[in-house]
Amino acid sequence: MHKKVLSMLLVNTLLQAYTSEDLEKRIASLEKTLDSQKQTKMQTALNGGNNSFNQQSFMPDISLILSGSAVTRNIDNDRYEGYSIDGFIDKTGEIPFNKNRGFNLNYAELGMHAAVGPYFDSDAIFHLSPDGFEIEEAYISTKKLPANFDIKAGKFRSAFGRINAMHQHAQHFAQTPLVYEAMLGLEGINDAGIALHWVAPTDTYLMTGIEALQGVNEESFGKSSSNTLYIGYLKSGFDIGDNTSVLAGINIASGKTPTNKNSTLYGGELTVKYIIDSYSSLNWQSEYLYRDKDDVKQSGYYTQLLYAPNSNWEMGMRYNALNKNARQQPNDLKRYAAIATYKPFEFSKFRLQMSHDTSKSFDGIRKNENQVILEFLVETGAHGAHAF
Amino acid sequence: MKKTILIFVLLTSSIFAKLNVATTYTYLSSITQRIGGNLVQVTCLSSPKLDPHFITPKPSLIAKLRKKDLIIINGAQLEIGWLPPLLRSANNPKIQNGNKGFLDVSAAITLIDKPKTVSRSQGDVHPDGNPHFILDIHNSIIVGKLISLKLAQLDPSHSQIYTQNYKKFQKQMQHLAHTLKTKYKSCQGKKVIQYHELFNYAFKQYGIQNIGNIEPLPGISPSSKHTLALINQMKNNKVTTLLQDVYHEKKTARFIAQQTGAHIALVPHDVGAMRGTHTLETFYTSIGKAICQ
Repeated sequence: MHKKVLSMLLVNTLLQAYTSEDLEKRIASLEKTLDSQKQTKMQTALNGGNNSFNQQSFMPDISLILSGSAVTRNIDNDRYEGYSIDGFIDKTGEIPFNKNRGFNLNYAELGMHAAVGPYFDSDAIFHLSPDGFEIEEAYISTKKLPANFDIKAGKFRSAFGRINAMHQHAQHFAQTPLVYEAMLGLEGINDAGIALHWVAPTDTYLMTGIEALQGVNEESFGKSSSNTLYIGYLKSGFDIGDNTSVLAGINIASGKTPTNKNSTLYGGELTVKYIIDSYSSLNWQSEYLYRDKDDVKQSGYYTQLLYAPNSNWEMGMRYNALNKNARQQPNDLKRYAAIATYKPFEFSKFRLQMSHDTSKSFDGIRKNENQVILEFLVETGAHGAHAF
Repeated sequence: MKKTILIFVLLTSSIFAKLNVATTYTYLSSITQRIGGNLVQVTCLSSPKLDPHFITPKPSLIAKLRKKDLIIINGAQLEIGWLPPLLRSANNPKIQNGNKGFLDVSAAITLIDKPKTVSRSQGDVHPDGNPHFILDIHNSIIVGKLISLKLAQLDPSHSQIYTQNYKKFQKQMQHLAHTLKTKYKSCQGKKVIQYHELFNYAFKQYGIQNIGNIEPLPGISPSSKHTLALINQMKNNKVTTLLQDVYHEKKTARFIAQQTGAHIALVPHDVGAMRGTHTLETFYTSIGKAICQ
């Protein structure tokens, strides 16, 4: 160790020294420093001052994300719970975010990431909310597979579509898109299983993956007496010039309903990001989902445009529609949302979202829902990376 | 005919296989190219016109990392907000952190401005110290040395060439450092302000005194209160030079210049950040010129 330090210092010195006299002086002073360092170390060892079993440096990277909100809405809280979406959801399950008119503590999310060894990494995200404790994700992933493959196993958010894998705080809006909510529920496909990804040996980014999951998602699948859900996707990304970047993908999820009927979900996604400068961009993102569940064919989509004028602000609009419904069910289920997000600092944001939703029924009666959400989100601890 | 060409191409590409290197910033590409010559194929992941802390993790970058033999990064947490997910998505074990094909050059540098206590209440601080060390020309020589050792480690059959190239590079940069030192000797002790703690290493090189930053804290946008205090400080210290980088907004700098009569000098933070800074030589020369004139 000392030798290393000495040689490194020497290299440094050599690089910067111009005269040999200077050099000799420096070496002498370095040797002196090293000698005194040795003495101090000796003393520490003698007095048992070494932290022999200190494990601190093996701590995983830990992050904590908090979300809370104030909500106004034209529907009473007791009527809001258990709302339905005609043709899609008979009675909504647990509402994880912004549930109450009034104040909400949405969640405290604890994330951990660590290397298990040279071959695997492990990740865990614990979702703590007033309703309980949930292992949002917990999985291992490979680091050493050849030929650009990787495997992920455990419980994780599926990479189906563009938005499914994104946590609520990483999304640009406070609400899940209507089509996702209608077909996959408010929590999306988040399931136990295994995923295999492959980055193709092409100059253009081309990634394909398959996932085998238990299939617990109740809205589209739900048979879990055995593992029944299989997912596949193909995603590609490329640049147009220096400033425009495109990500497109096709996705398929095939599983069984609780009554063992076939259910297949098809998805198309397109994201175009125009980078104006380091802090300013335009981001257009759209997804279309088509579902064939026990021969009932339904579809919907959303499209959103976001503009970030500087590092502190982002503004956007999202249009949601369920444009094809089951027979005898309404085809005019829509949601409009507008959002303004203020970021005083990279790790904190306040977002104000207004929405007008025509898709919901309360106590069996369709009623337009108008809602304003003011939400805060903060990230502490380990530095999260920005998603594309 | 086509077949022979194909075979020829295949043969030549395997015999003269170049080391495939990705770098995070353009200065690293320039140095790697100088040391590796035609034995390396260098791709840079970012544009020098943009803030090095905030590079958009474009999907196309994953494809660029997929088959690289080596990634060279600045380190000191400059890439922490954008590179890790790209590296993970590329599924290329060679260039994962801890493997031979991953080189963090900050590890060889003595960093300055290391915070005594690390808390985000101090802004977006870098716990290891100031990562913008390449602004000091002397550090480019250390980086060159490290890269030459790494290239030799990955491609031992050409180690002599890498060493030779490094020696040549070292001489050239030392000569330039000397020239700049002599040329701008008179600006020692000069007082300036800057936008972000971006040019501190250049200040060290030239003996410049930094009076303050336009940002109240790293990563925090300017506030009127802080700007007014800064203007007062500038007046008290008779600061006449305001150093601006290419990627931050320039409105605040213009306002300060108007209030104090100071002149705004645009300083490149990386090779190619400004017109006429596309080589290491022109890069360092224009830093000296912008700061000292």
